[in-house]
Amino acid sequence: MVATPGLSIPGADQAAEREHVLISVRNLRKFFPIRGGLFSSHIGDVRAVDGVSFTIHEGETVGLVGESGCGKTTVGRLLLRLIEPTSGHAFYRPTPEVLERIDADYETIGPVPENGGAAKLTPGASKALRDLDAVANQYSLFRKRKKEVKKLRGRLQIVFQDPFSSLEPRLMVRDIIAEPLEIQKVGTRAQRMHRVDQLLEDVGLSPEHAWRFPHEFSGGQRQRIGIARALALRPEFIVLDEPTSALDVSVQAQVLNILRRLQQEQRLAYLFISHHLSVIRAVSDRVVVMYLGRIVERAETDELFSRPLHPYTQALLSAIPIPDPLLHRERIILSGDVPSPADPPPGCHFHTRCPAVMPICSKVSPPAAEVRPGHWVSCHLFPPTPSPGAGGALGTVDAGPDLSPLGAPSSTASPAGPAAP
Amino acid sequence: MSAAQPVAPLAPDVDVSRPMSRPAEAAPTTSPPTDSRPVVLDVRNLVTYFYTYDGVVRALEGVSFKLRRGETLGLVGETGCGKSVTSFSVTRLIPDPPGRVVSGKVLFRGADLLWGLGEEARFIPVKGTNRVKVKRSFRKVKAAQARVGSVRGQGIAMIFQEPTQAMNPIFPIHDQLGEVLLEHRGEEIIDGLVKAKWNAPTVRPAAQALERAMKVNDEAMRAAAKELGDAVGLPSFGTQAFYMARQARSGGQTALVADLTKAASRLRLSSGQIRYLRSERELMRISREMRSVYISGMRRGELERVNRGRLTARRLRTRLRRIPYRLPVIKRRVSRPLREETFWRAVQALEGVQIANPVQVARGFPHELSGGMLQRVMISMALSCDPEILMADEPTTALDVTIQAQILGLMNELRRRIGTAILLITHDLAVIAEVADRVAVMYAGQIVEMAPVQELFTRPMHPYTQGLLASIPRVDQPSKKLESIPGSVPNLIFPPSGCRYHPRCPHAMPVCKEQRPPMTVEGTGHNVACFLYNGPPVVE
Repeated sequence: MVATPGLSIPGADQAAEREHVLISVRNLRKFFPIRGGLFSSHIGDVRAVDGVSFTIHEGETVGLVGESGCGKTTVGRLLLRLIEPTSGHAFYRPTPEVLERIDADYETIGPVPENGGAAKLTPGASKALRDLDAVANQYSLFRKRKKEVKKLRGRLQIVFQDPFSSLEPRLMVRDIIAEPLEIQKVGTRAQRMHRVDQLLEDVGLSPEHAWRFPHEFSGGQRQRIGIARALALRPEFIVLDEPTSALDVSVQAQVLNILRRLQQEQRLAYLFISHHLSVIRAVSDRVVVMYLGRIVERAETDELFSRPLHPYTQALLSAIPIPDPLLHRERIILSGDVPSPADPPPGCHFHTRCPAVMPICSKVSPPAAEVRPGHWVSCHLFPPTPSPGAGGALGTVDAGPDLSPLGAPSSTASPAGPAAP
Repeated sequence: MSAAQPVAPLAPDVDVSRPMSRPAEAAPTTSPPTDSRPVVLDVRNLVTYFYTYDGVVRALEGVSFKLRRGETLGLVGETGCGKSVTSFSVTRLIPDPPGRVVSGKVLFRGADLLWGLGEEARFIPVKGTNRVKVKRSFRKVKAAQARVGSVRGQGIAMIFQEPTQAMNPIFPIHDQLGEVLLEHRGEEIIDGLVKAKWNAPTVRPAAQALERAMKVNDEAMRAAAKELGDAVGLPSFGTQAFYMARQARSGGQTALVADLTKAASRLRLSSGQIRYLRSERELMRISREMRSVYISGMRRGELERVNRGRLTARRLRTRLRRIPYRLPVIKRRVSRPLREETFWRAVQALEGVQIANPVQVARGFPHELSGGMLQRVMISMALSCDPEILMADEPTTALDVTIQAQILGLMNELRRRIGTAILLITHDLAVIAEVADRVAVMYAGQIVEMAPVQELFTRPMHPYTQGLLASIPRVDQPSKKLESIPGSVPNLIFPPSGCRYHPRCPHAMPVCKEQRPPMTVEGTGHNVACFLYNGPPVVE
């Protein structure tokens, strides 16, 4: 089951992957402090996002899946700087050369221990760190100043989850949609109104709706108003935060079709956040699966759904109800709930519920391994293949303290562990 | 799964205290063409309106369906099509005002739950507006509520949509579960408590056996605790002993007998406590007799005034005698054994829904539990009195897929064990496909299609059903193009004339605007209300 590393030519593959990158997220972390006790001092962290790395290319849809509370929404909000990250970078429009430089830097720095600065850096690593800093100053979204962020918001937009609370009830629809245009001082008033009409038509509403208030619309129509608002500034990237979870299936299909059409017309890139796997399968090009603040698996959509490797992904996929009464499948039913991100289990976060748990799982957090070209898994069943060229930097920086003497499980465990569906 | 599936064995830790009121039987998942299972709920022509300031919302317009024993009927449709209103109308939980069940029949155990509906209110249209003024006779409404109350819980139980909102935030879980248990199984709980014997000769050896089992493992401890419970004559004491043993073991303790003896103080009742329990039992018996009076009244279509009056007087006398127990100082002492007993019964009920640490959950408050956990608590509450019918109103909508799979598995297993009929309300057709036997598709307050589940998914007939099925994104068919139904659910104050679906229907014909299509038979158990088909009409 483990791909033979010789099959893929890592260099060539990576070169293609570095073209047309819109946002490259590296090692993103967001800890929300828990305050309590005397003088409300800092007593702990909710590790909402804990070392997340992935890439979004121009014009593609990346699906972000996971159970509630796994940090999906936080990732979306971080990318737009709606909240500030604890650490990590999101490189915006890096050229292939820059990406190569970043990869090289991360590789020399090597895996960073979870608590950051305590690691001893070799001279080479500290040089790489300085270089990374320089690149980040130029490209990272998180180093932009306030003014630049404001400008960027025209390029990066978001559609919120709940269409009932994300629209200002006291504004008319035309004012809601024109607001981003006003903030960015685009066009004259007449031009803006013209653009509003055009946008309403784009999302399948009619210009007469501009004169109404949000409460006069149904959920699906409101969500379309939210989409129109996000489109107003002709962005190139939209975070769709569960855009259809509050809608009925028939209306959901309408909204998904609109999103798909707009993507084709305007070459938009989407980060589609959802817990609904069938929707993710229908819309995304690539899928990232999160569990408790970490990425457990990422791959092309078809690859992930036909060959899920991580036990969590397998359980998640087998739990999706399929609307076909004739189909009977073996279910992997996970016991228990998602642990609290304030106190995540040590080692692999999933080991408390994992059907294929091994002794190592509760001690070491598994590094990401490229099992097939473009298919990354963080699981001890799939130890990373030590090939010097295949930049492990993409995801492995997250790895915890290096405890290799424990003896990584041999490859005998990997095919047998999680049964292929 | 075949119809001849063996009866699932009764889980040893669930409901052991109570002899099954009905024999457990295997519920076949595929319904045979001629369904011979007895009908437990027969809803006929249910009409429910909401009288608002904007006008009369015609939420239900003639809904009829039958629910058979041990079957799962799925009720699907878009938001606002009247799914939840249907279930609320059956149990008369519609908020009144503004809503009212206007007409119809709900036959349950041979009794019409909506009996006397016509006399409860008069409707006076307000001239020049769409409004209707409703003059209710609140005395009659209250009496009707009391009558229907006699079947809620034990006859028809409900799982509500939002578990976080259905629980009371200021009471711990065991309080809320215990309330249900006391209401429906109180007499039995008190009987068990009074009969329990700590001094029986077999008890001490059993306690020592449990102490020895602590050194082995959980299974041995559970078996030994069960023995102890049997020896005492109170299974819930066995549960208590098990959790005490488990806690003692995790604390590194080896002795247990002394602790057990101390805990058993709740079984040594003082004469005051016995008197309190007797009067409590008397009250429960009166309310049980009241229930049967109500049900027989609804069956015959008249109120049995004599018996009801007699029971009310008896209840008043018992309550007067109980006045001393209402003093907090006394109440705390005399009610302690019963409080502890209900706590451990609640723990048993939570064990039944596979909650890992039921003692901790029972002590907790609703805000401390996750949505999936609370939903399980709700299910255990609904099933704690072995209902004949379970109405699950979107039981998994608020949950993640992995938790959803757990809950659906649980409901299916319980149905197999107890033979409960389930009315599963959801907008998720995939969930329906997984668990339902038959499906009723609703649109704008009417059932438009009803069919066995395989039939409906392979041969959907109504254009609305076809549209719904085409709009689901499917994991197993990624390349499928998503069709959407144009438009949205109509405003039910001004519902479309004729067939309510015609403004959105791709096959709309002139006749659709004028007449409401009758329900016709289009195959075994497959009924459709659409003018595209012209089979024989459904006979009630």
